[in-house]
Amino acid sequence: MKEFVLYTGCTAPVRLPQYEASVKVVLDKLGVKIVDMKGANCCGAQYVESVNRHAFAAMSGRILALAETYDRDILAICGACSGSLKWIKHSLDNDWKLKDEVNRILADEGLEYTGKIQVKHLLQVFHEDIGYDAIKEAIVKPYSAVRLAAHYGCHVTRPYDIVRVDDPENPTIIDHLIEIAGATAVDYTGKTRCCGGPMLAMDQEVATKIGMDKIRNIRAENVDGIVTACVFCDIQLTQVQFGEGAQDESRIPVLTLPQFLGPALGIEPSRLGIGYNKISPSRVFASVVEV
Amino acid sequence: MSEPEHGPEKDVEYHPNSRFSQEIAAEPGGEYIRKCIQCGLCTASCMVANYTDKYRPRRIIQKILLGEREQVLASELPWLCMTCRLCEERCQEGVSLAEIFHVVRDIAAREGRVPKVFKDTVNQVLKDGWLLKDAFSDFIQDDRTDLGLNPEVNFDGEFVKKVKKRYFEQGDKEEVKDE
Repeated sequence: MKEFVLYTGCTAPVRLPQYEASVKVVLDKLGVKIVDMKGANCCGAQYVESVNRHAFAAMSGRILALAETYDRDILAICGACSGSLKWIKHSLDNDWKLKDEVNRILADEGLEYTGKIQVKHLLQVFHEDIGYDAIKEAIVKPYSAVRLAAHYGCHVTRPYDIVRVDDPENPTIIDHLIEIAGATAVDYTGKTRCCGGPMLAMDQEVATKIGMDKIRNIRAENVDGIVTACVFCDIQLTQVQFGEGAQDESRIPVLTLPQFLGPALGIEPSRLGIGYNKISPSRVFASVVEV
Repeated sequence: MSEPEHGPEKDVEYHPNSRFSQEIAAEPGGEYIRKCIQCGLCTASCMVANYTDKYRPRRIIQKILLGEREQVLASELPWLCMTCRLCEERCQEGVSLAEIFHVVRDIAAREGRVPKVFKDTVNQVLKDGWLLKDAFSDFIQDDRTDLGLNPEVNFDGEFVKKVKKRYFEQGDKEEVKDE
């Protein structure tokens, strides 16, 4: 059985705990064992990353070193965290001065980065560690007549040379999983474009326009829901639909990938935290379960 | 993936001679400045540029190439890149604007020129060890319990004190440079 140590990042446990819960329940069902990383810190993405390269390396480097004490690869469920950890792992593995620098600051608490563990985003665990065939075999309640749009998240898939998840121009993992579960994966304009989340700090108005651009493109394809694989994307694509002038009935449900897969695997929606989603995905689930 | 596989010129490097572009090229990630041919594919791909006239990534790179150091470092524009890397996926010359802007931000930060929202967020993270300690309430603990999760989140607040002391309180002299 494959085992991972889960690094949740800062945001999922507080703002999207249903994602954390559904990851655990779905991976358990598919035979992947997860342990929580204890005593972690922020990976430093975006903010520390922008102001001091060495501080960023120390913060993500500590998370990599902590994973080594568990002797397990890291499972990251957030695009920003998986991107940061992979980026810093790449830097540490190719820059011995930086690695020495990070190990000096880690030595106080008996930690050391040696590079022996890998970092995987959730999509890789589904694709590489569990595999499409095993997921297909585990589907007990396939969806029918449900149209879904996949949103991958920029930092999940780019830059390919570092993250190695999926084709950055034409990603397909979420689409495959949508189809395997019996639903229809729908293509749309601007599929690989950003949700606007990283712009929230500097210019909320522009961030919302970018998010709504995506929602409009998805709505044009007449879908029942959006499937995400990043904490920030999920939150951003949900909250932009509550802005001024947005109408209740036209809101498109946003759900995380494990929340989508769960019911098809025979998992009770309550264990997937479906009730915590701000836009009820009941129309997505109508064909498989009573919500 | 970002490099074109055809053509004899894929390793061509240009040598912009402004002092500012050389300063950027000397830092890890900044070397991409040598590859830009100012074609504008970045601006054409950019979702931020699509929704605000003030932001044109090609133009910021042009200012760097022209050596407009003060103008670039004093501006908020290099902080508007979402680092979504859509432009660099499309750039035919293999330029990473996200990396160039990270170097520009790093240099600006050393000179104390950080937008307030970045400064505040960095201070928060370096105080608590993680981003959302203030938002982590009893209500969220209850939600976590209902979801079958550990109500506690177990973040460490000590390590960041060392990070803060080493990289943010002792000035540049303590920073290890990659010479």
